[in-house]
Amino acid sequence: MKSELELRGVQQRFHARGVADGYVTAVDDVSFKLLASPPQIVSLVGQSGSGKSTIARNVLGLQKPTAGSVLYGGKDIFKLSRSEYDAYRRDVQPVFQDPYAIFNPFYRVDRVLWKAVKKFKLASTREAGLKLIEESLQAVRLEPENVLGRYPHQLSGGQRQRIMLARVHMLRPSFIIADEPVSMLDAQVRKHFLDILLDFQREHGMTTLFITHDLSTVYYLGGEVMVITKGQIVERGPVATVMHEPTHPYTKLLLDSIPSPDPDQRWTTRIQVDELERLDDNTPADTTKPEAPVL
Amino acid sequence: MNNVLEVKGLEVVYSTNRGDVQAVRGIDLDVHRGEILGIAGESGSGKSTLAVALLRLLKAPGKVTGGSVMFHPAGRSPVDLLKVHGEELRVLRWSALSYLPQGSMSSLNPVMRVEEQFKDVILEHAPARRDSLGELIPRLLGQVGLEPRVGRMYPHELSGGMKQRVLMAIAVALEPDLVIADEPTTALDVTIQRVILQSLADLRTDFGVTLMVISHDMGVHAQLADRVAVMYEGRLVEVGDVRQVFKDPQDPYTRQLIESIPRLGRKAS
Repeated sequence: MKSELELRGVQQRFHARGVADGYVTAVDDVSFKLLASPPQIVSLVGQSGSGKSTIARNVLGLQKPTAGSVLYGGKDIFKLSRSEYDAYRRDVQPVFQDPYAIFNPFYRVDRVLWKAVKKFKLASTREAGLKLIEESLQAVRLEPENVLGRYPHQLSGGQRQRIMLARVHMLRPSFIIADEPVSMLDAQVRKHFLDILLDFQREHGMTTLFITHDLSTVYYLGGEVMVITKGQIVERGPVATVMHEPTHPYTKLLLDSIPSPDPDQRWTTRIQVDELERLDDNTPADTTKPEAPVL
Repeated sequence: MNNVLEVKGLEVVYSTNRGDVQAVRGIDLDVHRGEILGIAGESGSGKSTLAVALLRLLKAPGKVTGGSVMFHPAGRSPVDLLKVHGEELRVLRWSALSYLPQGSMSSLNPVMRVEEQFKDVILEHAPARRDSLGELIPRLLGQVGLEPRVGRMYPHELSGGMKQRVLMAIAVALEPDLVIADEPTTALDVTIQRVILQSLADLRTDFGVTLMVISHDMGVHAQLADRVAVMYEGRLVEVGDVRQVFKDPQDPYTRQLIESIPRLGRKAS
C-alpha cells in the first residue's frame, strides 16, 4: 500500500490581480495514481501555464492543495506522522528543471551526496559512504574522479543534472518526480539523461512522473502520458495511442503544431492567436526553457 | 539577381589561450531580396557566430579575419558591413538591418513599458515619426497578433511567446531591408512556436522584409524557408531551394541531418 502515490480531486488556486474573482485556478480537479510496481514512466505534458509544475509541487508536498488530497500509501501526505513523513520524503524524490539553482555555489558538489548519505544513514563508515557515492556516480555515467571535489561552476549543466540523478540512485526511491529536468540540456545530453531514467525504471524499479512541455521527449520515454491544459487533464493513455490517435482537440492542436520537417507538408491552416492568449494569460512570468529538443 | 547581402570568404576566429578556434571558415553566401533564407546546422556549427559577425555584434575574443559582406539597402548606396564604423553603422541598424535575438526573455528592458521600448528605437533611428507613434505602435503590435493594450504592459506581464512577438514587432518597426532572426522559436512551446512562424511568414508577405532565420530545428526550415543553407563545422556545406535540400540533399552531412530528424511515430535512437 506504501507503493502508491495518488492525487484525488486536487485543486490549487492562487490569488491573482486583474482576474474576475481574484483567483486563478492552476490545477483543477486532477486525479491520477502512480504505482511503484510495476515500475512505470508517466509523462505529464502541457504548455507553460497549464499547471503541470504546480502538480509537481503538490505531489512533493511543497504546496498544500486548496482542495482534494495527495495520498501516499493511502494516507494524506499533509497528515503523516513524523516517521511516516520521513519515509515519504525518502521514497519520493524530486529532480528539478534548473541544474544551476539546486547547488550552493560555495560548497563542493560532494556535499549534496554526503548530505544524503548522512541524513538517510546510508552508510556507517566514510569508506562505505564513498563507495556508495562512487557507485551511484558510475550508474549515471559520471567518472567519480572528474566530478568529486569540484564546485558547481566547474561542471556542465548535464553533469550537474546527473549528480542529482546519482543522489536519487543512492536513495533508491519508489518515485521520482522530475519537473522539466531536461529542458535546459542540449540534445545529446538530454538523450543521456532520459536513458538513465529508463535504466532506473528497468534496473531499480523506480516509477517516474516526468513533467515536460516537449512531446518528442515524451515519445522517447514511452510509457503512459497525461495531457494537461488549463489545470485539467484532458487526455491520458499509452504514449503510442495518444500520439497516433489523439481524441481531445487540445492534444490534436499540440501534435499538429510540431513543425513537420517536410516542405511539402506545410501548415495550411492558421492557428488562432486568441485561443493561445488565454493560455498565455495564466503565465505572467515565463520560465526560460532554452534549446528545443532534437532527439 | 537582386541581392540584399553578398557574403564572400567570411572568416571568424575565437582566440583562446590554446590558440585560435576557427568558427566560420570561408563562407560565401548571397541573400536574395524578399526571401526567407534558413540557416541550419547543429550546435557549434557556427550559425550564431555568422549572424553576429554579419550584424557587427561580434565580441572579443571573436574576430573577423577575412572576407567581405556587401549590404545593399534599398535607396542607399551599398556598403561593406565589415568596414563601416560608428555613425555610419548606427544609422544602418534598425532602419536597414535588424536583429531578432535568441532568448527574448532577457532582451527587453524590465523596467520600461513595451510602448516606451518601441519609442526608444523609433525615435532614435527615425525621429521624424514622432507624430505617428500613437498610430504606429498599435499597428505594429497588431501585425504580430498582439492587442494594443500590450503596449501599456511591462515585460514581466508577458509570456515568453508574447515577448518574442514584441521583439519581432520592434525589429520591423522601421521596415528594415533585412532581419536576422537567431533561433526565434527555440525556447517556446510548440503552439506558440507555430504562431511565431506564422508571424514571421506574415512579415515577409506584408512588409516585404528579407529574413535570415537561424535554427537548429529542421522542422522550422521546412515550414518557413524558401532556401536553406546548411552549416557544418564553420563551413557552408549546401545551399539550395528548401524542397531540393529536404528531398534531394547533395551533401552527405545534409543527408545525415535530414535522416536524423525525429518524427513522432518513429522512435528516435
